[in-house]
Order: sequence, then C-alpha cells, then structure tokens
Amino acid sequence: MISVQNLHKTFALTKQQRKELNTEAKTATAVSDLSFSCQPGRIYSLLGPNGAGKTTTLRMLATLITPTSGKITINGINALEQAQEARKHIGFLTGSTGLYARLTPLEIIDYFADLYQVAPKEREERKAYLFDLLNMNDFLHKRIGKLSTGMKQKVSICRTMIHDPSVVIFDEPTSGLDVITAENIIKLIRSCKDQGKTVIFSSHIMSEVDLLCDDLAIIHKGQLKFNDTMSAFRANMVTNNLTEEFIRIVQMPTPLA
Amino acid sequence: MIFRIFRKELLDTLRDRRTLMTMLVIPILVFPITLNVFMEVSNSFQESASAKTMKIGIVGDKSQSYTQQLEAIPAAIGPKKIIVFKDSAALRAAIETDEIQLGLLIPANEKQLGAQQQTITLNWLLDASELGRAERAELYAASLKANAEAERLQKLGLRPEQIRPLVVNTVNCASDKKMVGQLAGGFLPYIFIAFGFIGCMYPAIDLFTGEKERGTIETLLTVPISRWKILIGKMLVVVSSGMLAASCALMGLFISIEFLDLADNKELLEVIHSILTPYFILSMFALLLPLVIFFAGLMIPIAIYAKSFKEAQSIITPLNIVVVLPSMVGFFPGVALDINTVFIPVINVVLATKELIADTLSWGYFLSVFGIMCGLAFLAIAISYKQFGKETNILN
Repeated sequence: MISVQNLHKTFALTKQQRKELNTEAKTATAVSDLSFSCQPGRIYSLLGPNGAGKTTTLRMLATLITPTSGKITINGINALEQAQEARKHIGFLTGSTGLYARLTPLEIIDYFADLYQVAPKEREERKAYLFDLLNMNDFLHKRIGKLSTGMKQKVSICRTMIHDPSVVIFDEPTSGLDVITAENIIKLIRSCKDQGKTVIFSSHIMSEVDLLCDDLAIIHKGQLKFNDTMSAFRANMVTNNLTEEFIRIVQMPTPLA
Repeated sequence: MIFRIFRKELLDTLRDRRTLMTMLVIPILVFPITLNVFMEVSNSFQESASAKTMKIGIVGDKSQSYTQQLEAIPAAIGPKKIIVFKDSAALRAAIETDEIQLGLLIPANEKQLGAQQQTITLNWLLDASELGRAERAELYAASLKANAEAERLQKLGLRPEQIRPLVVNTVNCASDKKMVGQLAGGFLPYIFIAFGFIGCMYPAIDLFTGEKERGTIETLLTVPISRWKILIGKMLVVVSSGMLAASCALMGLFISIEFLDLADNKELLEVIHSILTPYFILSMFALLLPLVIFFAGLMIPIAIYAKSFKEAQSIITPLNIVVVLPSMVGFFPGVALDINTVFIPVINVVLATKELIADTLSWGYFLSVFGIMCGLAFLAIAISYKQFGKETNILN
C-alpha cells in the first residue's frame, strides 16, 4: 500500500533555468500538496499532461528524490526515514529505463537479485518463472546491445520484478514502445494486480488509463485536480468522451478533490 | 555489497573497448613501440651516416701534408674521399650544393706559422644541420691536432708530460642509484601519474556520466543499497583502472629496457635491477595509490555533474594538463622534497618517488607525503559523495 500526505517538491532554479523560464523566482514548484493512497490489488493511475509533475511524484515514491515536505508511507514504512527498507518493497520501471549494453540479460538479473539480496533458492525460482513467463530463455546470454527493443523491455520487466515487489511503480512505461512491446507492459500491470500488488502508473494517454486503472488521479501543474475511482470519473463525466473530460478537468481553475 | 558493485562495474568496464585501450593496450605497448621505433630510426640514421662516404674538400697544393694525414686516418671512422679545390670560394660553394660534406680551410701563412711555432687555426666548413657531419669533423680534427702536437713536441725535444704538469680528474662519489634517481628519477613518477590519470578518465566518465546518459542510474538508485556504497563500488573501479594503466605503462617500460636492448649498458641495467626491489615497488605504490584516488575524486564530481559524455570529456581533458604538467617538475635538477614542496600534491609524490629511486627518502618525508595524499584523497571522496547525493546532478 502507498500513502501520500501533503507532498510538496520545489527545485532551485539556476541562472540559466531562470533565463529560459523567463522568471525571477529562485525556485520552481514541481508538486504541491499532493495527498492520495493506493490500495493493494488495485491499479492507481496518475494522469496528466507533460510537465504536470507525474515523474517527480513517482520518483519521490521510489525514494529517488526527497520531498521538500510531506509524508510517504510504503507498506507502513516511512519512505523518508527508512528509504532503504522501503526500497525492498518497490519495483520501479520507466519508459526511459536503460540497461547495461555490455552485459547479458542473465548478468543484469543476477546483479539486481544480489542488490535486492534475494535468497539463492528464491532467486532461482523467480528467474525460472520470469524467464518462462516473458519468453526470455533464447536470449539470456546475448549482450543487451544486440537485443531488439522488445527484448530489452522484457529484461527491464524481469529486473523490476526479480525481488517480487509488493509495490510496483511504472512511470510512463509504454512511452516510445510499439504496440506489441507495450502489450507486454499492459499484461505485466494486470498480472501485478491479480497477484494483489499495489500498482501505480503514470500516463498522459487517456485510453491506456481507461484500459487498466481502478483509481484515477489527474495532476496538472503539480496539483491534484481529480482523485477518485475510475467508475466515479465515468459516472460524473459532463463531456462526451474520456479525453474531453480529462482536458476539461485539467483546464478547471481549482482542484476538484 | 560494495564488492558486488565493484565486480559488475569492472566487468562492464573491461568489456568497453575504448576503456580497455586506454587502460591496458596503450600503456603496455606505448613504450616498447615508441622507444623501439625511436631507437631503430636513430640507429639507422647513425648507420647510414657512418656508412656514407664523406667527401672532404681541401684548397690547393699547400694542403698536401693535411691530405696525407687525412688519408692516413683509419677507415673505421667511416669512408672518405679527398678532393682538392682551387680556392676557398669554390670550397664554400661545394659545401652549399652538397658536392662535398666537409671543407678544410687552411690559412695561407700556415707554413710560416708552423716555422715560427705559432698556433695554426684550421676551419672546418660543414652543414651542421646534417646528422653526423660535425661529429666526423671533430674526429678528423682530433687526429690532425694530435699529429701537430706530436710533431711540435718532437721538434722541441719535449715529452708530453713536460708541458702537462697537472691533470685534474673528477671522481663521482654519488652511488649509481643516486645518479639514476637524479637523472632519470623524474621520468618514472611522470609516467605513472600521466597514465594513472588517463586510466581513471574513461571509467570515471563511463560509470557516472555514461550511467546518466544511458538512463540506468534511476534503476540503480532504487535498489536498497546506500548511495555511498554505490559510489565506493564505482570509485574502486576507477581507481583500479588508473592503477592498472599506470602499472601497465611501467611494465611496458620494463619490457622495453629488459628485452629490447634499450639500455645496453650492463652497469646501468644492474642499477635498474637493484632499484626495482619489492620494497621499492611497494613504497612507490603506497605513494601513488592515494594520488590516483585523489585523481578519481577530482574526476568523479565532474562526471556526476556533466550531462553528457562529451561535456565530461571537455572538462576533464584540460584538467589532465593541469595535473600532469606539475609532475614534470621531477625533470628539473635542484628541485627537492622539503617542508614547502611536501604540501604540494602531485609534486610531492614526484619528488618523493625520485628520492625513493635514489634511496635518499627519509621515513619522515615518506609518511608526510603519504599522509597528505591520503588526506586529499579522503577530501576528494567526500566531495564526490556530496555531488553523488545531489538529486539535481544525478537525475539531470
């Protein structure tokens, strides 16, 4: 389970950035006063246009960056005070995730299994399960640099799931992928839900969100504009389709929830 | 866990051809190849110069006695041919057109000067820009001089020692090790420092900037391992690469000396062997290890800060000059390790290594240099850690 309370993140702006943004302000607010929770066995979607603060939020959940203020709890663990303990429960995958091109998939998976301190017996079981599930056995010993995008994505998924995390964070996981490769990700997200994991994923594509999510948050300029179930979103729609409704909410001056 | 990170990063680094080239191949081969090529070229020039027939021009009939003396000089110095010229202008012109290689100008009053027991001044005309000509002229001149001296002493009825009452010899009391330390001692630390720096450069950029560029850093930072362990694991690879590159360069130099006959002087080889004891090698590594850590600590914050491989390279490459140039101070005579130079990083290591070779390094200075460099290495690690902790740096 993920619980977020009054999350706030500001970044200091360099002179160059102030010039580019045409502002005198010394800081920029990426996320402002976010509060939400994600339940196990449900898929929580963070929807918002580019630059809305989705990636910053997910990076804070994954303990990659520290919030300016607020509280994050992962499975009851305070992620700010016990970041390392919280990371043991988290699997993090982004659309822009890279892999070590000079290593083989097997070497990468073993490396991350070591870093997550997965016990030898459990590791072998997880590897066998994931390699079969993702159909990876044919290219386990080839260097990453020689694999196709689809194969690389499978390795990324396997790396994310090797320690069997109970909380999975996906940051625009299908971004830049073809439909067949993206389908692997969709399957993975559904499979995580079926296994009772807590899943949060960000996207700027309404159709993808519609396909997967149980709970929806719409974020714009770092502020939460909507936070409820997907069925509540559909029930309260005032426009003709989901995309139009998303645009309407984003353009509303004050937060709904 | 640090060792696990080190193992993975080392494997990744060793599979990078570019790093492998700068870390192993170039350092090992640079000295055997360049020194061998240099020796071959130099020998071939010398051989061709000594094998070439030297045409020597002399003016007029008055030169007869000199012609005979020159003819009498053994051909072992090199083949020669004497050509008689009518006047000195023709002699000069022949030198300029390379028709002859040496021209002997004898003063017109040579016989008169000889009869009056005056000094006769001979002038060699030559093109000094051509290799081996000045040396050959000196050899011929020495022979002519010896003949003239012997002739005059005979006429005066004197023995050579009668006009040479005093002979002063200089006896060098410095040990061979000290001499090698002073003359060539600066070269060894220079090689180590230059290659240590270059060896650190590519792994530092690849393991930090490269990780950002490839988008693998996010994944790595979400594992339940503290950042300092990740930093140290990576830093160990950078330091190992630097040490390995420097060691390979020294190995290459040793191979050159030992197997390519670069030091064909047997006594010099014995001195080199007596210097390269396990104690010397361990002491040198003890001085250079903190220096290489210091280098890694200088490069890593830059590599963390840089957004691209190119940017990191453009900052670190000029740093190379700033760091490696001071190491050339070892080549200057008179610069010694003292209370002032002991505090200057890089220079202190160079001077201490130089004294180590000369076997004159005191324990006090050894420990001072080691301590100062360890302090700087620790500071460099602390700066790297601070930079690695900055989220704006590591996530662009």
